[in-house]
Formats: sequence, C-alpha cells, structure tokens
Amino acid sequence: MFIHKKEIILNINRIIFSSLDIKEVYQSMSNELLKVIDFDRLSVTLITEDNNLYENFVLSKDYEYTALKEGVLYPMEGSLMKRVVQFREPVIVEDTSKGRFLTDTVLFREGIRSRLGFPLEYKGTVVGSVNFGSKRKDYYSKKHINFFSQIAPQLAMAIENTRLFNKIKEAEEKYRTIIESSPDIIFECKKDGVFSLMSPSVEKITGYSVDHFYDNHGYGLSLCHAEDQDRVQREILQVLHGLNNSSMDLEFRVIHKQGKVIWLSLEVLPIKEGNSIIGSEGFCRDITERKKLEELKDNLIRDVTHELKTPVAKIEMAVDMFERSVETGNKNTPGKSSQIHEILRNNVNRLKNSIKNILDISKLESGMETFKLSDVSLADIVKQIASEMKDAAGRKGIVILYQIPSHIPLIKADRDKIYHVIAHLVDNAIKFTEQGEISISARLVPDEVEITVEDTGRGMDEETKKRVFEKFYKETPSAYGSGIGLTICKHIVEMHRGRIWVESEGKGKGSQVKFVLPITAGYPLGSSGHTKTVPCYAKPKCE
Amino acid sequence: MTDLLIIEDDLEMQEFYKDMLQGEQFTISLASNADEGLKKTKEKKYDLVILDILMEGITGDRVFATLRKDSRYKEVPIIMASALDEKMYRCFQALGNVSFLEKPFNKERLLGEITKRIGSQK
Repeated sequence: MFIHKKEIILNINRIIFSSLDIKEVYQSMSNELLKVIDFDRLSVTLITEDNNLYENFVLSKDYEYTALKEGVLYPMEGSLMKRVVQFREPVIVEDTSKGRFLTDTVLFREGIRSRLGFPLEYKGTVVGSVNFGSKRKDYYSKKHINFFSQIAPQLAMAIENTRLFNKIKEAEEKYRTIIESSPDIIFECKKDGVFSLMSPSVEKITGYSVDHFYDNHGYGLSLCHAEDQDRVQREILQVLHGLNNSSMDLEFRVIHKQGKVIWLSLEVLPIKEGNSIIGSEGFCRDITERKKLEELKDNLIRDVTHELKTPVAKIEMAVDMFERSVETGNKNTPGKSSQIHEILRNNVNRLKNSIKNILDISKLESGMETFKLSDVSLADIVKQIASEMKDAAGRKGIVILYQIPSHIPLIKADRDKIYHVIAHLVDNAIKFTEQGEISISARLVPDEVEITVEDTGRGMDEETKKRVFEKFYKETPSAYGSGIGLTICKHIVEMHRGRIWVESEGKGKGSQVKFVLPITAGYPLGSSGHTKTVPCYAKPKCE
Repeated sequence: MTDLLIIEDDLEMQEFYKDMLQGEQFTISLASNADEGLKKTKEKKYDLVILDILMEGITGDRVFATLRKDSRYKEVPIIMASALDEKMYRCFQALGNVSFLEKPFNKERLLGEITKRIGSQK
C-alpha cells in the first residue's frame, strides 16, 4: 500500500508539472487522488486580490448541480476557507449538519456530510485551498492530511506558475495585437541584417509581404531609394556600433512594389544584451501624405515668389539697361528706348495685376468684399466683353463669337463681379488658344442660367481640371499670371450661390469653362446693406 | 570667341542677355525652350550654357540633368538663372561646375559669373 501511494504521489507530481493548462492538471490530479482519498466533491478555491474566494475547479462525482459553482466569486466570510487561510492549516469538518461554516449548510443540502480543507501555500502565502467533501459523515482523518500534504506544495507552485504564465501570455497577446494592428511598421533586426520581427503593416505600406523580409537578408535596405540608401545604412550602422544611442526621425524614400515612391520616417534603437549590441529595433511611419503637402506648400511659395519677383527683377534690369544706354549715348540702338519702355510697361502691369489679385482674393476670403446687387443683363455684359477683347484676340488670329438667347432673363447679381468672371474666362481662353475661336454662350436650365466660355485652345488634363481653381495653381509655374484668377472667379460665382467647373476632352482638345447662376435667388452671402436678406425675385424679361 | 548657349523662355529676359553681352568676346545662341536648347546642344558643343530654371514644358533642372548625362556636356560649365532663392537650388552644386545667378542681375554680375565659370574650366 505504501509503495502504491508513493507511486501515486509521483504520478500526481508528474501531472502537476506536465501542463500549463491548469484545468487539465486539476482533472488528472483528481483522477489520481480518487485512488487514495475518496471524495464525492472536490474543489480548488483561490483567493482573489481583494480577498474574495474564487471557485477555480469543482468536481462533483454523483451529482451535477452544486450551489458553489466553478468560476464564481464568493465572500470569504463564514467559509471553511477563511479558517484554513487564517490558521494556515488543514481543517476537518466531521459533520456538516452542525453548520459550523456557512458553506457547510450549503453543501449539506447537496448531501455532503464531512469535509477536509487543505491550504495551498506558495512562498509563505496562502494562495487558495483544496477542499474534499464526502457523503459519509466523519470520513476525513489525519492520514488524509498526511497524504495530501505531500502533494499540496507542488500543486500550489503549479497554480502560481500557471497564473504567471497566463499573465505573460496576456501581455504577449497585447503586444502581438499592438504589433499586428499598428499602422506603423514595427521591426526587430539582428546585427547581421536578418529580421526577427516585422509587423504586417509593412505589406500595406511597401506592397511586399512580411515573408519577403524574413526570408531575404537585408531586404529592407534594398527597397530604399538609391539616393537615400547610403544615408540610411550609415545611420543604422552608427546605432549598431554604439556611436549613436538612437536615430530619430530619419526620413527616407522606399520604392513600393508597384513602383511608386513612399516616404518613411524611421526611429531606431539598439537592442542590448549586457553591454553588447545584438541588433536594432524600431518603427517606420508612412509620411508620404505629409511630404506631398510639404511639397505643395513649397511649390506654392516658390510660384508666388516667382510671380512677384520676376516683374520686379525685370523692371530693375530694364532700368539698368536704360542707364547703360544713356551712358553709351544711344548711338547704335535707335529702338532701345521704346523697347525699354515696353518692358517696363508690361512688367508694371503684371505686378499691378498680381497685387490686385492677391488683394481681391484676400478680401473675398475674409468676407470683407461687398456686393452691389442689381438686375443684370448677361447679354449686355457678354456683348461688352466681346467688343473690348476683340483686338487682343485678333492679334493672335482668334475670333470671339457669342450667342445669348433672348429668353435668358435678367439675374440679380453684382454686375461688376459677373463682368470680371466672364472677362477673366475670355482672357484666359485667349491666353491658352493659339488659333481658332472662343465662343461665349448661355442657356436656361431649371431655375438657373448656365454660361459657357469655350475655346479651341490647349485643353486640360485630368490633374489640371481637378486643380485649376486652387489658389496659386498654375499648370506651368513659369507661365504669366498669379494663378489666382480662377480662384477669384470661383469665389464670386459661389457667393452668388452658383457653381463653376471645367470640361475638357484632354490636352490639345480645347476647354469649356461653365458656371451657373440662380435666376431667382441670386443673393450673395456677403450682400451689401440695401439688399438685406429679404428675397427679391428678378422678373424674367426678354430682350 | 567663347560660344554661349542661353536657354530662356522669357523673351524680355532674352533681350537683357543680348543687350548685356553685346560687344563682348562671346558668340551667343538663344533657345526659347528646353527642347530647342537641347537640340542645339546636340548640334554643337558650347563652352558654357546659361539655363533658366522655371520654364514652360521641361524645366531647367531637368535640362541640367539631361545635359550632364551627355558625355560631351559632363564638364561644361552651366549657370542656372532664376528669380528664386539660391538655396532652393543648392542641391545642384554637388553635380559640379555649376553656379547660380539670381535675377535681377546687371552686366557686371553676369560677365563676372561667366568669366569665373570659364576660368574654372581651364
């Protein structure tokens, strides 16, 4: 019998350390225990941090229902467990009918007559207890205590190990979730350039799967833009050689699988083992969008600067030219004065226009611009513009045609502003048309008038169509003009509650700029005093 | 005589160049856009190229890169001219034998720059 028990103890010890799944351990342990300690009910109870009881495992042999259920918290007060914890020693209940503990009463109803509670201690602290219950009265004795005391320390250790293991597993799970859901690329790399960790976001950013990086030595660097490769390698080597504690905000380009350029910002730190550096870790953020915006901003500043500086530069150079011609007494250059005069006049006008446009757009954007509303005849405006711009168009061999049907009604609008819009569109059309014609037309659409300025000029590609109303946008940065004209037109049209857009079949295929203005409710948002907000409808009137 | 090629799309600027370089020891060829300029460089090897940066179509910086790929123009001095700040184009300096001429410039400054570039060539 003794050898038999010893074998069972060895068996149970083996079971206890065989698995990190605590439920599995309890189950196997209880099977072995049954061979030496009879019970009808077995439970393992743990103490929670706030001193409650937690039924971690309940096994009832002949009945399924039990009031003290697995996975439920119970108060410590009045339980057998409290006594076991307090005195750190096994407690035997000979007869539950006497109701010495609250739990006795509960279990008595389920047929349990005697109990044995055994403390589980780990490193001097009671972490829980193992509780046996028998349907026989006065069943448990010293011999059961002696036997179980040989298993209890190992069981307590196994429980604590499992708890610890689960905590680590949880932390690892959290870490993994962070890595897997991070929009940034998180990586760990050994000193020889082999990746030991690469987050899945790398595929979204570079187009290459995680496996590419694990399988190919030094793959990250080979994706770098040729111009940035040396710099990135140098920075990483400095971290790996301990010359730099970290490398922050290292911005560089990589080439996406589909060939496009992606901007990344890298932060990299050394991984240390003792005093030696064994690798690097860090993260890469996709900053392509930010870079694009920066580029846009830089281009904007460049274009505005260019537009303002160029005429000033040319005025200065014309003055210099004039002074030199005076010095040489104008001997060999009879046409010089008129040439200088023309350059000066052109550039003063150009500068004046740019400044006017910038002031106009500032006024429109700040809402300082006031609108003077009246009943406006589009036909009159178009006729006036066609006649005024005939010569400018004629110099390029372009004809201006217009047709405003007589049923187009008067619209409530600021005449000067609408004149400005149409004149600007025609002026633009002349600028971008080498031959052919420009036609201005209008038609009635429900509640609105649609005005079209069409040319046979150079047309627009998709990019230009999309951006042509952006402030300072110019298809060609060096082209004459501030790049604000169409932005001003858009503001004016929208303040009349209208819309403006462009249509073009593409480069070389001419363009149509169209805008609509409401006939009956053309009240500018920034209307001048006398119109207030009272709706006033323009009467349709034929010419 | 030193052969100069000036690639500049602004006709008024072309007039300034002509006026300033008139009577000096140079022969000047003018090109009004990048394509025309590059075509000229293929026909003949110039001693120095003056290049406007912000041009319609192909910009000066791309002309510069194209020229440097041409074996005959690897070492030819280039002056890049623009109304913009020099610092925006500092990156070109690494590519060798190039200087920046900010507009406006006067005759003295232009001649000085040309002499310096040609001199560094010899």
